[in-house]
Amino acid sequence: MFSRSGKKGNYAYTVARVKAKKSHLLGEEDYNKMLQMSVPEISRYISESGYQKEMVDLAGRLEGIDLVEHATYVNMAKVFSSILSASQGELEVMVAAYLEKWDIWNLKVILRGKSYGLNTDAIMEDLVPAGRLGTESLEKLISLDATEDILANFGRMAKVNPQALLDAYRESGGNFGAIEDYLDKYYYARLIASIDPTSRPTKLFQEYVRKEIDVKNLETILKLKAEGIYGEDVMQYIIPGGKQIDKRLAVQLVNAETIEAAASDLSQLDFYETIRDLVESDSVSIRDVVTEMKKYEIAQAKKFSHLYPLSVVPVIDFMIHKELEVRNIRTVARGIESGLDKETIKGLLVI
Amino acid sequence: MVLEGDVGSGLIAIGAGLAVGLTGLGAGMAEGDVGAAAVGAITEDMSLFGKSMIFVVLPETIVIFGLVIAIISIFVM
Repeated sequence: MFSRSGKKGNYAYTVARVKAKKSHLLGEEDYNKMLQMSVPEISRYISESGYQKEMVDLAGRLEGIDLVEHATYVNMAKVFSSILSASQGELEVMVAAYLEKWDIWNLKVILRGKSYGLNTDAIMEDLVPAGRLGTESLEKLISLDATEDILANFGRMAKVNPQALLDAYRESGGNFGAIEDYLDKYYYARLIASIDPTSRPTKLFQEYVRKEIDVKNLETILKLKAEGIYGEDVMQYIIPGGKQIDKRLAVQLVNAETIEAAASDLSQLDFYETIRDLVESDSVSIRDVVTEMKKYEIAQAKKFSHLYPLSVVPVIDFMIHKELEVRNIRTVARGIESGLDKETIKGLLVI
Repeated sequence: MVLEGDVGSGLIAIGAGLAVGLTGLGAGMAEGDVGAAAVGAITEDMSLFGKSMIFVVLPETIVIFGLVIAIISIFVM
């Protein structure tokens, strides 16, 4: 009854804030309206739906689809940073661990940008400072030239063991793909470790993360199978810690030569029902399967978001929905820009 | 120090004190969470100030119940 120390986290305050923010998120009818608009009209529409400040700030130097993409990312970064700075105690630890994926995203952008010889401004435009590392820290990373310096400094800033990062980089012989895989695996390992599954809500959160790992692993396996890659080579890309796809099932799945051959092993998964028709059809569209799996993930998040109002669950639920909103706006804008028909764009949305 | 009055009156006084004290403690704990949530909601949307205030003072009713019990204990019993 009296376990109300600062270590527990300020759930009431943070949850009230995210609930207020969630009430402003776009709904299905908004996307339906946006599908009937042109890109400038979408810009105007989202300006009136909470993205006004970012749209005005960026309107001077960007326009069209670039303006929509950057404004939505900047807005998301701002919203996530405000949640992180509002949360305290164990809640902050979990939120920070969840948002670390944006630190890793930024590191990947910097490494790739540097390797392609982009200048500081071009790299900065693609960054999403939604994690622990703010704009200043990221600018410092961009100013460094050697990849090893960037990795070592990132390690110190994000409290990732710099030596482990450098070792992973050296072992891969300077291969960015390998260091990116290492960072993804590290992110999930650290996220799972940061969640203490002793209470029901944190256990639900951990299970959600582990299901996300399953979806990511299955996506990797299917994509590689579509390219004709299977067997032990695929195992190096599998992220450990999945809920249903454990090592044994992962080995079975990667060893199946084709997607059809993997169908019987896939049928053990909870979410197989949602993708059964797509996987068993004559021509498997990986994009559709991934979209369906994303929808399944969201359905899972929705299921538990109302159960524990004073816990980490509503906070994570909001962050998932905010990220999806940004993804959906970009999908609609990109789809309209490239002239896709409305039904196709709608099929790509995760609502 | 000389103690005056009987044991019964003393117990009534202790009971009245506990009624007010414990309800105050309960209301404080409830108000802590409600107040934090109210401040969070107001931070996002200033128009929620009026509604939030109502929710913040709701737990105070528990103290009023305690106070009523205390008054009854002292003046009626």
